[in-house]
Amino acid sequence: MADLQQSFVRNRLLRALSPENFALLQPHLERVEAPFRRVLITPNEPVGTLFFPETGYGSVVADGSAGRVEVGLIGSEGLIGAIPVLLASDRTPHQSMVQHAGEMLSIPAGALTEAVAQSDGLRTLLLRYVHALSIQTAATAYSNATYTTEIRLARWLLMCHDRLEGDGIAITHEFLSLMLGVQRGGVTLALQTLEGNGLIKAQRGRITIRDRESLIATADGSYGGPEAEYVRLIEGA
Amino acid sequence: MPRYFFSIRHRPGTRGLAIDEEGDELPDLNAAREYALDVAKDMIARHRTDMIRDWFDCSFEITDEAGRHVLTVPFSDTVPEEDEEQLG
Repeated sequence: MADLQQSFVRNRLLRALSPENFALLQPHLERVEAPFRRVLITPNEPVGTLFFPETGYGSVVADGSAGRVEVGLIGSEGLIGAIPVLLASDRTPHQSMVQHAGEMLSIPAGALTEAVAQSDGLRTLLLRYVHALSIQTAATAYSNATYTTEIRLARWLLMCHDRLEGDGIAITHEFLSLMLGVQRGGVTLALQTLEGNGLIKAQRGRITIRDRESLIATADGSYGGPEAEYVRLIEGA
Repeated sequence: MPRYFFSIRHRPGTRGLAIDEEGDELPDLNAAREYALDVAKDMIARHRTDMIRDWFDCSFEITDEAGRHVLTVPFSDTVPEEDEEQLG
């Protein structure tokens, strides 16, 4: 993509690269639309393409006999497909799909691994991102094992809010129940609690964040750790 | 297939009803009742919350697409009555 300049890119990983490392990837990046529910990575098949989200975000989903549960959330801070490809596996048992429509910069897996082989700096930054994503996944496991549905929902809404421009999240209760691995009725109950406390407004197919600070307080420490670790690892703050 | 809506009554008053606006398609009212019992069982077993004091005070208020109330399924119906159990 000849006209793509680093200063106009929104993806935080691409922005964190040195100009030389960005130049290694730039010729291979292609701007693509990512519609809701589009499957980006198919389980147990070779990963041909990775995606740097610019807007919107994707979910990494684990599938089993008891249903589907989200195990990763990747927006403009990340790279969808990073874990298998950078860790030298050509495939993964997990699906990645678009959860909130947006735009992404795609790159062929071969072009990415070639660029990584040429630059220690690029490899280091992307492996640090893989580490940051594994911290997020561990925090999700901890949340799922210990916290109430209200707290888990608050954490999840904050993570989505971080990856969107505005305050509105387009999502149904049905989809939310898949993401959190709880019954739809449980989502409805938890949303009613958060709404009753003035933290969100829940409309059909849409949740609006009204009081982010109180939502962080409700999340009770389950939100913020992995986010701070990302900043430390990638943006050096 | 008809669509049924499964709102949860968890305490008295308007704020005590968590309204289901999405619903599920099920063949008939009997299937809706079975579905409600399955969901209630799963919620009692797995749904961690500080908001519900006693799950057996909760019930599904099932409505149809016209918004008519068609059935109430108390969460306590997930456990058979003692004499039923002995018979079974």
